[in-house]
Amino acid sequence: MNHRFESALANVILYGSMVAVLVFFYVPIFTLIAFSFQEGRFLTLPFDGVSLKWYGALFQSGAALTALWNSTLIAVFATVFATAIGTMAAIVAVRYRFKGKRAFQGLAGAPLAFPQLLLGIVLLLWFSVLGRWFGFNTGIVTAIIGHIVYIAPFAMVIVAVQVYNFDPVLEDAARDCGASSWDVYRHVTIPLLWPGIFSAAIFAFLLSWGNFYITYSLAGSTRTIPTFIFSGIAVGSSPLYPAIATVVFIPGILLVILANRFRLRAARAG
Amino acid sequence: MDMEVSRSWRDPELWVKALPSVVLQTTCFLAPLVMTFILTFQKTQNFQLNWTWSLATWTDVFTKPHYWTILGHTLFMAVACVVVCIIIAFPIAYGLATRFKRLDNEIKVLITFAFITDATLKTFGWVLFLDKKGAANYLLAHLGFPAETVAFLFTDWATLLGMVYNLLPFAIFTIYLSIDNIDRSLILAAYDAGASKFRAFWEVTLPLSRPGIWAGSVLIFLLGVGVFLEPKVLGGGKSPMSAELIRQTFETRVNWPLGAALTLVLMVVAIFVVLLFSRVAGMRRAGA
Repeated sequence: MNHRFESALANVILYGSMVAVLVFFYVPIFTLIAFSFQEGRFLTLPFDGVSLKWYGALFQSGAALTALWNSTLIAVFATVFATAIGTMAAIVAVRYRFKGKRAFQGLAGAPLAFPQLLLGIVLLLWFSVLGRWFGFNTGIVTAIIGHIVYIAPFAMVIVAVQVYNFDPVLEDAARDCGASSWDVYRHVTIPLLWPGIFSAAIFAFLLSWGNFYITYSLAGSTRTIPTFIFSGIAVGSSPLYPAIATVVFIPGILLVILANRFRLRAARAG
Repeated sequence: MDMEVSRSWRDPELWVKALPSVVLQTTCFLAPLVMTFILTFQKTQNFQLNWTWSLATWTDVFTKPHYWTILGHTLFMAVACVVVCIIIAFPIAYGLATRFKRLDNEIKVLITFAFITDATLKTFGWVLFLDKKGAANYLLAHLGFPAETVAFLFTDWATLLGMVYNLLPFAIFTIYLSIDNIDRSLILAAYDAGASKFRAFWEVTLPLSRPGIWAGSVLIFLLGVGVFLEPKVLGGGKSPMSAELIRQTFETRVNWPLGAALTLVLMVVAIFVVLLFSRVAGMRRAGA
C-alpha cells in the first residue's frame, strides 16, 4: 500500500465514523424535539398537525413545573457542595504528598466507577435505617446528599486537571511577599483555578439536574424532571413529555458551550 | 518541576481540605456499603426488617439458579456493550486527537452535550424513534421500504443499543486522552525508520493507547452491569437484568436482606471479572 492510498482510506474511515456517531448521538434528541410539535394526543407518526399547544400545556401543568423547580433546587445545592468538596480534594490529591495519599484518592474518587442505581439503593438502605432510628423520611435533603456523593468525585477530576497545570511558584512568591495563607488563597490560588472550578460547577449542575437513578431512589415522593418523565413513559405518554425535554435541552446546550469557553481560556492560561 | 509539597496530617492546609471528602465518602459511601453487608445476614418478617442474625438470605441466593441466570445475562450484555463501545470509540477518539483540528471544539461540545443530557430523556427519544409507528419506520416507509422494517424495540438488541448509546462517551473520552498524550516524535521516528502510516499506527499508536482502552472498558463494564433504564424502557422489561431484579426485590417484594445480598453479589462478581481480565491482559503483555 502506498502512503497516498493509506491516508485517503484513513480519512474516509475517520470522517465517516465521526459523522455516523454524531448522527447516532443526535437521533433521539432530534426525535424528541420533533415530537414536541405534534398536535394530537399520541406519540406516533404521521402527526395530526404541527402546533405549540403542548408547550402551553406544559406551562399550565402544576406537576411539571414543580418537577422543574425541584430539579433546579436539588441541582443548586448539589453543585455548591460538590464543587467545594471536589475542589479541595483536587488540591489535596494533586499538590500534597502525605501518608495515605493513595487511599485518599481512592476513597474520594470511588463513586465514579460505582453503578449509580446501586449507589442509590445502598444509600436508600442507609437512610431508611437511619431514618427509622432518628425519625426522618427520604426526600429532597437525602436526594441532595446522594447527588453530592456521586458528583463531588467528578468535580474533583475536572478541577484536578486545572491544578495540574498550575505553577506553585506563584503561591510561593505571594507567601514570600508576606501574604497570609488565606490571602494566598483568595488572591492567587482561587483566581488561577477559577476556570476549572467554574467548569466543574457547570458539569456538577448538569449531572445533578439530569440525574435519574439517585433521585429515583432517594427523593421519596418528590419528583424531579427525570423521574417525572420516567413515570410519564410508564403510563402512556403525550407530547407533553417531548416538550419538557426540548425545554430542558436549551439551558443544557448553553451551559455546555459556556463550560467549553472556560476550558479553552484555562488551556490558554495554563 | 516538582509539584508535590510534603504535608503532615497535623497541618491544617491538608486536613481542612481533605476532611470534607473523607467524611462525606466515609459516612455516605463506605458506611452504607458495610451496612448493606450486615443487612444480608438479617431476616424479614411481614415485609419488616427483623434484626436477627440468619443465613437464610445467603442460602436462598446460592440455591436459586434464577438469580444466577439473570446475573449471567447481565454480564454478557455488559461485555457486549464494552466490545461495541471500544470498536466505535476508537476511530472517533483517534480522529479527534489527530484530525478535525478546525472543528475540534464544536465536535467536543456536541459530544459533551449528548453525554450530559438526562439519560431518561434520550432513552425515551429512542423509543419514539424505534417504535412501530415511530420516526425510523415513517422515514423508511417514505423511502419505499415495507411497513415496520425496524422491529427490534423491546428486545435485547434495543437494550444493547441504549447501553452503547449512553456509555459510549466514556470510551471516547478515555481513549482520546491516551492518544492525545502520545508523544508525536515517537510516531515521526517510526516514519523515519521507514514504517508505513499503517505500520506506525499498528506498532506505536495502538499499543500506547492501551491504557485508555483499558480504562474505558473497565468504566463501561462496571457502569454497564448496573443499568436499569435501558432494559426496562427499551427492552420492555422482558429479559430483566440484575439491576431490575434488585429493584423489584426492594420495591415489590420489600425484602431488604435479599436485595442487599443481590447488590453485593453483582458488585463482587463485576469486580472479580475486571480483575480476571486484567490478569489475563497482564500475562499476555508479559508473554509478548
